[in-house]
Amino acid sequence: MEPVMVVMCAICLLFFLYQLYKLSEERRNQCCYLVHYECHKPSDDRKLNTKFCGDIIARNKNLGRQEYKFLLRAIVSSGIGEETYGPRNIIECRENSPTLEDGILEMDEVLIDTLDKLFRKTGVSPQDIDVLVVNVSSFASVPSLTSRIINRYKMRDDVKSFNLSGMGCSGSLISLSLVQNILKSYKNAFAVVVASESIGPNWYSGNDKSMMLTNCLFRSGGCSFLLTNKRAFRTRAKLRLKCLVRTHLGASDEAHTCCMQKEDDQGRFGFYLGKNLPKTATLAFIKNITGIAPKVLPLKELIRYIVMKYLGKTATLNLKAGIDHFCLHPGGQAVIEEIRKNLGLSEKDVEPSRMTLHRFGNTSSSSLWYVLGYMEAKKRLKKGDNVWMISFGSGFKCNSCVWEVLRDLEDGNVWGDMIDQYPPKTTANPYMEQYGWVNQETFEPSAAV
Amino acid sequence: MPENLPSFSNSVKLKYVKLGYQYLVNHILTFLLIPIIFAVAVEILRLGPEEMLNIWNSLHFDLVQVLCSSFLVIFIATVYFMSKPRAIYLVDYACYKAPVTCRVPFSTFMEHSRLILKDNPKSVDFQMRILERSGLGEETCLPPAIHYIPPTPTMEAARGEAEVVIFSCIDSLMQKTGIKPKDIDILIVNCSLFSPTPSLSAMVVNKYKLRSNIKSYNLSGMGCSAGLISIDLARDLLQVHPNSNALVISTEIITPNYYKGSERAMLLPNCLFRMGGAAILLSNKSRDSRRAKYKLVHVVRTHKGADDKAFKCVYEQEDPEGKVGINLSKDLMVIAGEALKSNITTIGPLVLPASEQLLFLFTLIGRKIFNPKWKPYIPDFKQAFEHFCIHAGGRAVIDELQKNLQLSAEHVEASRMTLHRFGNTSSSSLWYELGYIEAKGRMKKGDRVWQIAFGSGFKCNSAVWKCNRTIKTPVDGPWLDCIERYPVHIPEIVKL
Repeated sequence: MEPVMVVMCAICLLFFLYQLYKLSEERRNQCCYLVHYECHKPSDDRKLNTKFCGDIIARNKNLGRQEYKFLLRAIVSSGIGEETYGPRNIIECRENSPTLEDGILEMDEVLIDTLDKLFRKTGVSPQDIDVLVVNVSSFASVPSLTSRIINRYKMRDDVKSFNLSGMGCSGSLISLSLVQNILKSYKNAFAVVVASESIGPNWYSGNDKSMMLTNCLFRSGGCSFLLTNKRAFRTRAKLRLKCLVRTHLGASDEAHTCCMQKEDDQGRFGFYLGKNLPKTATLAFIKNITGIAPKVLPLKELIRYIVMKYLGKTATLNLKAGIDHFCLHPGGQAVIEEIRKNLGLSEKDVEPSRMTLHRFGNTSSSSLWYVLGYMEAKKRLKKGDNVWMISFGSGFKCNSCVWEVLRDLEDGNVWGDMIDQYPPKTTANPYMEQYGWVNQETFEPSAAV
Repeated sequence: MPENLPSFSNSVKLKYVKLGYQYLVNHILTFLLIPIIFAVAVEILRLGPEEMLNIWNSLHFDLVQVLCSSFLVIFIATVYFMSKPRAIYLVDYACYKAPVTCRVPFSTFMEHSRLILKDNPKSVDFQMRILERSGLGEETCLPPAIHYIPPTPTMEAARGEAEVVIFSCIDSLMQKTGIKPKDIDILIVNCSLFSPTPSLSAMVVNKYKLRSNIKSYNLSGMGCSAGLISIDLARDLLQVHPNSNALVISTEIITPNYYKGSERAMLLPNCLFRMGGAAILLSNKSRDSRRAKYKLVHVVRTHKGADDKAFKCVYEQEDPEGKVGINLSKDLMVIAGEALKSNITTIGPLVLPASEQLLFLFTLIGRKIFNPKWKPYIPDFKQAFEHFCIHAGGRAVIDELQKNLQLSAEHVEASRMTLHRFGNTSSSSLWYELGYIEAKGRMKKGDRVWQIAFGSGFKCNSAVWKCNRTIKTPVDGPWLDCIERYPVHIPEIVKL
């Protein structure tokens, strides 16, 4: 009986060890790697400069002199440069009558450009994609944009597609959170996320001041990125997702209504940005930091902060102890400046965000990836660095995530050859003298988001 | 069955042979076990009690061996339970019941149509013909903004409709399940054609003061199958987050999408789509396993977008006058059938009993090796499911599926009656149908339900649920006051 018992025990033990090994493999394979990202650079015939914007404002019969001055003030001091891109229907002076075709065309340009490049550069075929997430905040079509992509690239019929909308400028981090969760349950999967914004159909043609700012700040842009949890891609991947924290302040009425799509008194459709937007953003930001700081900062820094607080002294969390690069959502000059002051960052830390705002404007959810592209093109991302991405969104949300850089990155990407011209000597608007009279009046800061 | 025996396939003898075969294959393990148990019993009786005692005493157990084996058994059991995917339960769900003032009987609809489209009598005629053959009843509802002549689809009105539908569903669900807003961990809202900023999910977070670390997602543009896509997403999220609740809201907001033009193919959705919504509570907590109504078994998603014809069959576009509407192509039914076949190919092996799968395998082998002229065997899904919830997309869809799956009138009764009473409420129609089956007292513990939905793109999604406890009538829900009147006979054409 003895050898039989021993053999049976051995078999059971082997089986148990095998199960443990499988479980640990599963845990290890739950990492989310960013293989590659592609940002969209529209063609040069879509560039919008201040003079063009001035012409558009002048054309609008609904705007009086006061509104004209207000808008020019906003444009001149927004930190947005002369080479940002607008949607075709605005370039063709049809901003007040966008058709469905315009909206779809705008999206198609982004999708085709970024996805073609993404699949070509990574060598992954569209038939290998298991999860597809598209997030465009203010555009919904039938069939959805995910279906358009599946149709164009002939993806498999069991691809898990999700079309998110209404999530504002933080949409790409929400899509990232969705993919991160799904990659934990599925082995060896590829996921593609496409983030963009639809500007053309959402142009505001009325004269309500709180709704006109979005016309000045938002610009065309988009990006796609490829994620996977395959261990084999670890050497090829650029970043690894360490943690992601989402904060939703929708429970507070004030936070919920500070950024809303609605109709003005004349029934014109637009995006309302309230005056308490910066305050709400700060609240959401603080709440989010309390969630993410313990996950990224070293223990020493946390203990120091707690001890200082306990002793009653003023203590600021030194985020630079755990984070090397800051990807701030370039919502506007005021947002970037506010965050820089609150976190005690240097000019060099916020330079990528400022330069993205200058070169591409606020491209909504995809703007974080342009900022990341700037850092990469400047060859600042080295192996082992931590990158912190923060974005805000309507509702009111503040989402942030921390990436670990897996290898020294030096891809020129969308910034390409012009990276050497940045940072320019001054980001002041060249039309400052022409419209300089606007600065003599009292100033309303550009809104965030 | 082979074509040279057509007369036998109708004979009673073959039916009993098939029944016997099914019983044998499905209970094969029992049949194998019975002779073994019999042999062991005979052996024990033969040996007698003293011999048994001797054998028992001769087995000496070393303490170390006993400890090792018992620990091993415990460890293996723990590892097994840890690696099993979590069970997802549907605790309860609530459907929206519109007030009587929103009802649109045929007469109201046709009068409005004549007044709005007075320059296009052909379009009015078209709408009348559609309505006559649609299978809708007199009690379907449209939102207040559409009752105006002409309709006034402002953003305010759309938000108003969203608030009324979604909030009343959630209120009703909270009352039924006793869940507090602070307990909700995951929120998924799906509404295909209305996506305001801030999103509908943010609107829900605001109204019910949900927690700030809630994981909320707002899906849009995914058509009538979005409800099952949300369930799939909730399932994936619940696998990753232990001990959580997920609130899924499926609705379609009609107000902004009323087609104001006169192009005929695009007037069809106006005739069929009606107001409705559902809120569903899912959970993976073990303490909900007793009070939950259903357990989620499978969700299978199929996307036929790679095929251009399938992609274009439900398409939003502008008509020659620039008015936006949804164009339904003529080969919608064919494409739906194709998508369904793909979906069945994946779900069949997961749910069909062994007998059906073997038959399918034999006919497949037979067709490939012996004679390609054998008719392909369509598995009998009635063996795998007791109830069917087919998306009430329109009378044609239900007819087509009834034919393809060889279902009886009783199986598709829930879908037909939902179409009659509530119209096509898009992604929430599956929940009205489930409510019908429960209200009729047909849902018993252990019953399996198959929900099938189609969506633009072209998608076919299905979900399989298993009933956790027998559901007693009367059931609190949208059918409460009218279930005695159903089923009604729906004539082919209702003369208007």
